[in-house]
Amino acid sequence: MTHRSIPIQLQRLLRRNRLVQIGLLGAFWAAGEALARTTGLPLPGGIIGMVLALVLFLAGGLKVASMKRGANWMLAEMLLFFVPAVLALLDHRELFGLLGLKIFALIIVSTTAVMCVTALTVDICYRWTERDDSSSAVA
Amino acid sequence: MTAAALWREPLAQAAVWSLATILLYLLAKRLHRRWPRWWLMPLAVAPALLMIAALALNVSYRDYIRGTHWLVALLGPATVAFAVPIYEQRALIRRRWPLLLAGMVAGSLTAVATSWALAYVLGIDGELRLSLLPRSISTPFAMEISGEIGGSPDLTAVFVVLTGIIGAAVGDIVLARLPLRSTLAKGALFGVGAHGAGTARAHQIGREEGAIAGLVMVLVGLMNVALAPLIVQFMR
Repeated sequence: MTHRSIPIQLQRLLRRNRLVQIGLLGAFWAAGEALARTTGLPLPGGIIGMVLALVLFLAGGLKVASMKRGANWMLAEMLLFFVPAVLALLDHRELFGLLGLKIFALIIVSTTAVMCVTALTVDICYRWTERDDSSSAVA
Repeated sequence: MTAAALWREPLAQAAVWSLATILLYLLAKRLHRRWPRWWLMPLAVAPALLMIAALALNVSYRDYIRGTHWLVALLGPATVAFAVPIYEQRALIRRRWPLLLAGMVAGSLTAVATSWALAYVLGIDGELRLSLLPRSISTPFAMEISGEIGGSPDLTAVFVVLTGIIGAAVGDIVLARLPLRSTLAKGALFGVGAHGAGTARAHQIGREEGAIAGLVMVLVGLMNVALAPLIVQFMR
């Protein structure tokens, strides 16, 4: 489907309306879910939908503007969608005691280590490549 | 119909819990904007208040999630939304992908190694330890892996969200202490360390950071799904 085949008015609606754009995001997700189910890919539908949207953007079949408002809103409010999952703790009262404290400590230490290692690795590689770039520029 | 009978209606319960979740989230967001302390994060305050309400009303997790599952389901379309910032940052990503890959591999190895070692030191073993291993990956991937390596997907989901909450808070502290030059490193730190919740936090810091965090989160998930069987070989 090329962009030109969509009537102008529909294009305009898509460009302006946040709710319509959220509907479009939902459609991509549904397509991803259907693809995952039919092909048996071990990937969540959202990821497949995201790849589909990216491919369409890159191929020029879909303009970013027709998704941007909806996407920005979804990304800004994403934390809300995580809230209900935390209440699974209600089913695991055993985690409220000493065991919970141990796990809490484990997560803090491990996550801090992961963040430091990741950031430093990227940053050190970044400085290397920057130095190479500038020295080759001088040479 | 009396109020008590109405309360037993599943539809009424769904409406009440959905509304309560959304309102408490909005309230928590306001609180955090007014007093930006890490322990006032919406993702910590809103669930805590809901948990107190559920305990007070003697509502089980099953009753609660039956009415609010649609909110969790919105994580699917929200994942699709990452296509926009990733597309907009495509030039940066094309130029810098080797750096991101290096960070992802180093971060993933650190995640698995520290989780396993700390669990061993603290005397956490069995299914619980295995459920803790895939913690640094975003929920859908993590649950997949957890089941595969013998953990409990349900518990892993809780640990993933906890990692996100803690990670978003720890990320700010790490960011302030490390002398990082590139936005690349700042985005990757949140994407590898604290997946969805961290990525949401990275988006608040900057568009570029958010885009990189989103991309890295997705790629780390894919990478770990591919590597999980290999890692398990070593852990057994």
